[in-house]
Amino acid sequence: MPQVMQYQAKSIIYFEGDTSEKIYILQSGKICLNFTDIETGQEIRELVKTGEFFGVKSALGRYPREETADVIAQSNVLVFNVPEFETLFQNNIRISMQMLKVFSNQLRRIHRKVRNLLSFEEQSDSEKGLFNIGEYYFNTKKYKQALYAFRRYLTYYPTGAFQSQAIQYIGKTENYIQGQPVEKRESIVDKPLQKTVKKVEKEESRLFFEGMNYFSQENYNEALNSFKTIVNSYVETEAYPKALFEIGRCFYSLKQYDNCIKHYTLLIQKFPKHPEITDALLYLGLSCEAKGNKEKSLSFYKKILTMGDDSSQTIRKAKQSIKRIEGNL
Amino acid sequence: MSIDFTQFDRFKVTFQKGDLIFCEYEPGDTFYLIQSGRVQIVKIMGEIEKIIDILHPGEIFGEMAILEEAPRSASAIAIEKVEALEFNKRNFEVLLRGNPQIALKLLQTFIKRIYDQKRRFMILTLKEPAARIADVFLMLSETQSSEAKSFKERVIDTSVDDIAHWCGMSTSECAQIIEHFANQRKIELESDKIIVKNINDFERFVNSRRQQ
Repeated sequence: MPQVMQYQAKSIIYFEGDTSEKIYILQSGKICLNFTDIETGQEIRELVKTGEFFGVKSALGRYPREETADVIAQSNVLVFNVPEFETLFQNNIRISMQMLKVFSNQLRRIHRKVRNLLSFEEQSDSEKGLFNIGEYYFNTKKYKQALYAFRRYLTYYPTGAFQSQAIQYIGKTENYIQGQPVEKRESIVDKPLQKTVKKVEKEESRLFFEGMNYFSQENYNEALNSFKTIVNSYVETEAYPKALFEIGRCFYSLKQYDNCIKHYTLLIQKFPKHPEITDALLYLGLSCEAKGNKEKSLSFYKKILTMGDDSSQTIRKAKQSIKRIEGNL
Repeated sequence: MSIDFTQFDRFKVTFQKGDLIFCEYEPGDTFYLIQSGRVQIVKIMGEIEKIIDILHPGEIFGEMAILEEAPRSASAIAIEKVEALEFNKRNFEVLLRGNPQIALKLLQTFIKRIYDQKRRFMILTLKEPAARIADVFLMLSETQSSEAKSFKERVIDTSVDDIAHWCGMSTSECAQIIEHFANQRKIELESDKIIVKNINDFERFVNSRRQQ
């Protein structure tokens, strides 16, 4: 049973740093909690209100007391041990809800303080924050997570500022997911997509995924080998045009600009409606620029601008490149 | 504390390996109690995805959304197949009335997390990297049993990665300082634990730096 204890003025109920399993409620009198503010290092004194609990966190968590409980005027307190407090807490929904709210709020505030200290840019705009998370996962090739974030974005912000970008990303993400081998894919797609998944893993999908993997590790020679195998042996497959495009990126990343130009020129002739056509033009431009042929690179960049229906990112890059060259001419 | 969960079957949800359970910045009004499988809590900070916590069956997550109207402060990802009970604001109070053990479990979760965050804050305010690491040793020994506390030598189950996380430092920087402590014979390193020879030495060291 909880006990009533009487404390005289100028006595101390407990000191900061003590460990104890006692929890108190102030019934009458005046008690002050003294503690050091962790942010400013200042001594803070806080009066306990009548009916208020103190010593809860340290007793329940078995942590050292975080404050000193200082009796200002003669006080009566009700003292609980942990099991007694737990019984009270569980039998009184009003007390438990109130206490949970207080602690939830404390937790959020301390979270914020830690983040400020680590000086991470806290995105105060949740809409942009959510979209950025999708982009982060897309860029790190965690397509399943990216898909989730973009879909959520559209659910919460159907007319949001990034709506069209989110839709484009979803399209791309779904494409990438389908480019991955079946066993990977099955865990990645959700139900509506699953219908398109074939049960047998195809060798060319495996090779394509392997190539993308090498590419993401900047192992461009190995990536090139994987994509070349697809192009040589699986001509009639879906993977073929995709691999063809990736070969050009490998050449560019290996700084083999002549090969890159030759390759993409052929690709455009062969597949004038290739889904990545603007990106192919971009690499053509970049390769020419790297070789010092600014005039020619400009013509490729400008061509991209006329193909407005592609992802805005490519167009943005083309515009930046045009600025860069015209600034130098 | 044992809770009979069979009455909650209608709240049961299943996630597959790799599923995002919820996403940072998403508005949220649900919280979860893990029944099987593990859940990773991650936050994207700058250009890296930082693992904040790994939660096991019996643990609660997403709880901050129930009591306050605020978007999710981190993402939750299923590490393996996860079965959990999903509760929301509407059924929360009803749930607590019928099952006060859950309220108590939540209270304990809050208390642990507030303590962890507060301690982390205090570690981060130390300027000197070596003092931060020393303070992590102190923190990890504070919650040891009173029997362990009667010795000045303490065995701490931790890894360099964990310590680096607490200190807000890179693993390599952290490893260098820890090695230095080992060379000074202040600690001994084992694969999954660190033996602190004299915890009082570290306490004096941290206190002297905190006052500066």
